[in-house]
Parts: sequence; structure tokens; C-alpha cells
Amino acid sequence: MTSIPPTAPSSWRKMQIPRPLQQLFDRFPLLTYEANNLPERSQHLTSSDLPTLYVFSTDRDAGLGLPSFNPGCLKWQTLLRLAGLEFRILPSTNHASPTGSLPFLLPPRRRNTTTSSATPPPPRPIPASNLLAYALQQQRQQQTPSLDFDLDPDLPPRSQAYLSLITLSLRNAWLHALYLDPSHTPLLEQLYIRPSSSSRAVQATLLYQLRRAAAEQISSSSNKIVSIATVDAVDEEEAVYAAAREALAALASLLRESGSGWFFGAERPGAFDAALFSYTHLMMEYMSSSGEGSVEGAGGVALGDMVRAAGDGGLARHRESMLEAAWPGWDASK
Amino acid sequence: MAASLGFGGSNAADKTSATVGQSAAQPSYQGPAQMLDDHRLTPASISSLEVHGATNTRRSLLDHVLKPVVEDSAHAGTTLGQVLEHVGAATKKLARFDIFKEEGFGVFLSEAPRPDSALPTDRTELDISIRVKEKSRLVFSAGTDFGNAEGSAYTNAVARNIFGGAETLSVNASTGTRTRSAYNATLSTPVNGNPDLRLAVEALRSATQKPWASHEEQLTGGNLRLAWLTENSDSHALAYSTVWRQLTSLAATASPTVRADAGDSLKSSLTHTFTRDRRDSPMLPQSGYLLRTVSELAGWGPLNGDVSFAKTEVEASGAVPVAIPGLAAQSGVSVGGGLRLGLLYPLPSGYSLSGAAQPSRINDRFQLGGPTDVRGFKLGGIGPHDGIDSVGGDVFAAGSVNALFPLPRTGPESPLRLQLFANAGRLVALNSKGKAKEGREGLAMDSATVFKGVKSAVGELTNGLPSLAAGVGLVYAHPVARFELNFSLPLVLRRGEEGRKGLQIGVGIKFL
Repeated sequence: MTSIPPTAPSSWRKMQIPRPLQQLFDRFPLLTYEANNLPERSQHLTSSDLPTLYVFSTDRDAGLGLPSFNPGCLKWQTLLRLAGLEFRILPSTNHASPTGSLPFLLPPRRRNTTTSSATPPPPRPIPASNLLAYALQQQRQQQTPSLDFDLDPDLPPRSQAYLSLITLSLRNAWLHALYLDPSHTPLLEQLYIRPSSSSRAVQATLLYQLRRAAAEQISSSSNKIVSIATVDAVDEEEAVYAAAREALAALASLLRESGSGWFFGAERPGAFDAALFSYTHLMMEYMSSSGEGSVEGAGGVALGDMVRAAGDGGLARHRESMLEAAWPGWDASK
Repeated sequence: MAASLGFGGSNAADKTSATVGQSAAQPSYQGPAQMLDDHRLTPASISSLEVHGATNTRRSLLDHVLKPVVEDSAHAGTTLGQVLEHVGAATKKLARFDIFKEEGFGVFLSEAPRPDSALPTDRTELDISIRVKEKSRLVFSAGTDFGNAEGSAYTNAVARNIFGGAETLSVNASTGTRTRSAYNATLSTPVNGNPDLRLAVEALRSATQKPWASHEEQLTGGNLRLAWLTENSDSHALAYSTVWRQLTSLAATASPTVRADAGDSLKSSLTHTFTRDRRDSPMLPQSGYLLRTVSELAGWGPLNGDVSFAKTEVEASGAVPVAIPGLAAQSGVSVGGGLRLGLLYPLPSGYSLSGAAQPSRINDRFQLGGPTDVRGFKLGGIGPHDGIDSVGGDVFAAGSVNALFPLPRTGPESPLRLQLFANAGRLVALNSKGKAKEGREGLAMDSATVFKGVKSAVGELTNGLPSLAAGVGLVYAHPVARFELNFSLPLVLRRGEEGRKGLQIGVGIKFL
């Protein structure tokens, strides 16, 4: 390729470069030095020996491996922890992800073990949908017999109906509370806006864009129009939260039916547990009317209280068990 | 001829006609200049000065330029020659406002009718009338443009002389091979009626593909810019700019380095640009030199923003014509060279000088290599690479030598040249090599680490031969852009750097 003129018509490309010219080209470059070092930022952020999961997080939380504050990221972070994969997390943005949304995982760079001239190509990112496959493959490669832990990404068929309670009702309530409820604006800014830029103008633009996107998401998934203007938002709001309350009640009774402490009678927590945990944990963590991480004096919806109330605390106990399973030694007070 | 009257210089003034009224001298057209030459030392003063045709221009703007002419000519010892020089300088100044048509200038002199009661003096009292034609106030245009390594199509609307003070509003929209879309609006105005001191405010928004690093950069921002020309036509510009950069739309193959830098950042910076251009032609310089420095301070102190650094770039290039013994005329042969140096120094944000500094991001680092830059390399082909991505460096040095020969048939007058060149470059990233990693939590580096890093990066420039390519090619200097078709081979490379063996086409307005 390098030896073909850029404007060459395609017929030229099929043509072989004349041999003498090829021989001449092969002789160059006359001298090749070692590769240049990568810039500091890159060196620091991308040259860990561990796979790196990019999630929404803060520098501090990421350093400690604490749960992400984004439900989508938290679900996969939890699953990977349950799968026993060793990884570090780094805060990132949706722009960085190959799918357009976090999380994604970058395997560690391959070391140049052989003395061959070529530097190994950088690892390709692994999108969320392939994370469990990657984790299983890693376990197989390292032959760590922690394989007793079998995470089946395919949920039982009847779980699909229940899953939509999480992916629609709980998600809508979370989006509404965090993005559209003005009493959670400080929280929204702290989690998603301020880490992006220190500039007020940029923050204001991002806030507007995020809110609009959230409103679209909610309206598209509930087929209702939610306007950011608060004129008739009260009814909409009530509908969203009523749906969430119903969903929580249904999930709580499903959990009670299961009897094992995990969903669908499983011995160990699975994908469904992680999906529910990613919302219940964050709701209790960030949106309780009192206690840990509460929003002081805000008249916002206390989704955390809703979770606590569901099924006589069944979902709250489920969350505690999940924390113990995935973050042994978790201290609620951080 | 006109030049001897002090009207020489700018295009506009060359076309200025100096006509002297009947009362002053012979009526024949060729006469005035000679007559004026004869009378250059005659004492003279201005009785009246009128400007015709500037219907949309504020009087205050004209006063700024013309009042000094009248005042300077009021001294007792003023001669006709001096008056003409002043008037000539003033018309040149008017022409630089870019609101009058170049061919529309006319200066008419006549001797003022003397009232009978006045005492006879030997001073010639002059009535001066300057005729101008205003350019159209609203101009729409569309066309194609060549920037460095990119072609684009644009539409442009210019509103001239909006408030009558030579204010210009220019609105531009373009799309190109690399720039997906770009919009900008600039309002510029002369300060204090001086065409050589302009203040401009610009708003811009653009989305540009950066295929050498697998991403797209979206910019939204604005700047405030004060530009001035010095007496010896050096140009300076001081600009404050604030721009929100969003690194997004990464390719599937984007490297970890690019992924780590994706997202938002705001750059708030002060930039000073100095240009001294003494070349005979910007597209095909055969003699003279160019000196350019760009210094930027971002994020430090009151500037705020998300990135903080000092960045400076120096460019010097020159050419000398080579005379061929025995050939009296210009040979068209010339030898030239260029040198570019750049350094980015991460600074702590806030007012501290010793606080922790963040290492540079990909959109702040330098890129090097390409057909208009260090030839024989792909665009961004020199410097640190992560896989296929050229991720840029914090320190660079690049140099080139070339010799231009006219083609046998076309001769030195034609814009075609045969070129022999060799160019080299080195682009190095600041890297603390993980030494300080232990005991360091985040990304930030303390000032000692930064200093050591920069020092070792600068030292690394001269570690071994620079990445080097040489070749031969054709140069065609079109007034709009310079075209090059080169055959080159890389001689020295670093692993990961992308040389280009064989033919390479370069189109641009700035070449190394």
C-alpha cells in the first residue's frame, strides 16, 4: 500500500509493483530505531497489567474499586466481580466507548515478549455484551478453578417479563428522579456534569443535553411525552413513580417466591440479581430521604425509601446480600 | 511615475491618479508629474480637503486618517512634495480599510482661489479632493479552498462597513474532505481609525475528522483577537480564546490512548502570534525569509479551563537564489531550508507554579509528518504511535533543505519547479517512564517530575538520527495553493512511525 500513489485507480492496485522498484523499496528505511514512548497520560491510563473496565465513576471511587454510580455500568461491574475477574476500573465517558455507551473493557496490553521487531497491536475494546464471555475465557486461560462460579448470561425465559420491570419501570423512575427532578440537580451535576468540564457554559450545555436525552428515553419507553417544563409534569411524574412502585412490589414478591435469597431459586446471584441490584443499590445510596447519601431537605422522590418499603424490606436485604457477595467487606459508610 | 510623487506602494495607490487643476500648471496630461517634480520644494499648504464617494462611511473614520494630513501641512515650512507624500500615505491607509475599491481611488489637486483681499504669499494653497468608490457592502461568495492537506467547499457572506467605521462581519460555512462541517462568524473593526490595528471577535463551531488518530473533534467556542502591523510590516496578533473540545465518534479500531482522551475539555488560552514574512512569494519562495512564533498560555491563573500548559512554536525558513555563472538573468534556481521547533510544558492550574500538573491530551499535543510538513511520511506519521494511531508528542523539531530548479522548457518565469529535498523530524512525548508511579495516586505530576520529563524529552530529540526522508518531485505554485508531487523514500524511522515509500501528493499553503 505504502508504495502506491494515493490517486492510483483501482486497476493499479491489482498491478504488481515492478520487481526492481520493490527491491529498492524493501531496502528502505535504512535504519529503524526503537519505537517512541507513549505520552505520559496514555502510559498512565492504558498500561496496567490488569484489564481495565471503563465506567462512570470518580477518580477516588475508581481507585478503590467502589461501585459505579451508573446503573448500566454497575450491573456489569457487579457481574465481573461475581465472576471473579481481576480488573481495575477507570472513570470514562460515553464518547470513549465503542458502542457509544459505557461500560467497556480493555484487556491489558500485550508485552513485547519476543524479540521480534513488531510491537504488538494495542488491545481491542470489549463491549458490555461480550464481557462475560471474556471473563470466562480469562478464567479458562489462567486455569483458575474458580469456575465453580457459573454465570449464565441467558436468563430463564420467564425472567424476560420481570426483566422489563427493571429495564423499563425502574429505569424510567431512576432517569426521572435523577435527570428531571430539579431537587436532584446537585446530585446530577456532581455525578455526570462536573467531571466532564470545569466550565460553567459547558456544564450548562451538557446538563441541557442530558436532560433532553433522558426525557426522550423516558417518553420513548413509556410512550408518554415528558416535558422538562413542569406545566403538566406532575401527572407524568406520578405515573412513572407509580409504575416503579408496582415493579418493586412485583419483584419483591418474586424474590420471596424464589426462597433461595436470589432470583429464580438460584444458588448464587446471577445476571438478574445484578440488574436489579444496580438500581436498588443506587436508589438507596443516593435517593433516600434520610441516612446515607441522602439529599438534604430536598422535596424529591425518595426512590430509596420506595426500595426499602418494597416487600417488607426484602429488596433491601437482597441489596445487602449482593454487596456482601460482590464487595466483601463493604462498609456502608464508605 | 506616480511613485516619485509618494503614491507608490500599495496596489491601490499605484492606480491613484494625480491630476492637477488648470490653475496650477500646464494642461497636458504628462505635464503634471514633471511640473510637480519641479515644484516639490515650493512651500504649500492645504486649504481644503474633500472626500467624495464615501457615502456610507462615518466622518470620524475619515477624520482619523485625514486630519493629521491637514494638520501636518499647516506648518510654515511645508513643501508641496511633503503635502503630496502625506496625501499619498493617507490614501494608502484608506485603502487598507478594505472598504474602498482599489481602482476607484483618485486624488485631485487644485490651487485654491485666493480671495482678493488676501495678502499675496509665495505659499501655494491647495484644494485637495479624494475620490473613492465604496466596495459593495454585502458580498456572498462560494468556492473551494485548499488548506493544509485538505480541500473544502465554502460559502461566505461578508458585510462590509456595517456601521460606517470599516467594521466587517464575515459569516462562513464550509465542508471538506476532513472538516465535516465548520461555521464561523467574525466581526472585526479597526481600532481608533487605524487600519493596521484591528480588533476582532469570532464565534466558531466545527467538526473535524482526525483519521490519523481515529476520532473526530468537535469544537465550539470563540475568541477575541487584537492584530496589528508594525511599521516594518511585521504582524502581531494577541488573542484570547475559549473553546470547548469534544473528542468523539471514535473508530472501532481506536487505540487505548485515544479512548483515554475521549470526551470533553475546555481550553481557555492566550495566544500571541508573530509573523515576519520577507519572502518574495509565499507559494514559491526563491529569496527572503519567514519567521513565525506562536506562544500560547492555557488554563493557568485566571484563565481556568480544563487544560493547563504553556506551548510555543517557532518556525523559520528562507531561500536564496543561486546565480548561474555566465547567466545574467535570474536563473530560477534556488536553495532553501526550514526549521520548526515546538514545546508543550504542562502547568498546574490555578496560580501555583509548583503544584501538580496534568499531562497533555491528544488534542493539545503536536503532530508531525505529512506531505506539506515532513515529506515522505504519512499525515502525523512521525512520533509516538499507539497501534495505528498517531498520538502526538510534547516536543518536536523538524527541518528541511530543498533545491528548486526550473524545468528545461518552461524557464524561471513559470511557476513550475523541479525539487530535490531532504527533511527530517523528531516528535517526542513527555514521559516519566513510570518512575514516579509508585506513591503517585492520580495522573497529576508534580513540578519536578514535569521538569525532568520535559528535559528528558528535549534530550531525546537528539538521541540518534532524526526520522528522515529524502526525495525528488515537481512543484507547481498556483496563486491559491502550492501543489507538490514527490517521490520519496524514508531513510530513518522509529518503529511505529509511518513512512511513505513512493509517490506523495501535497497541496497546501504552508510548506516546511
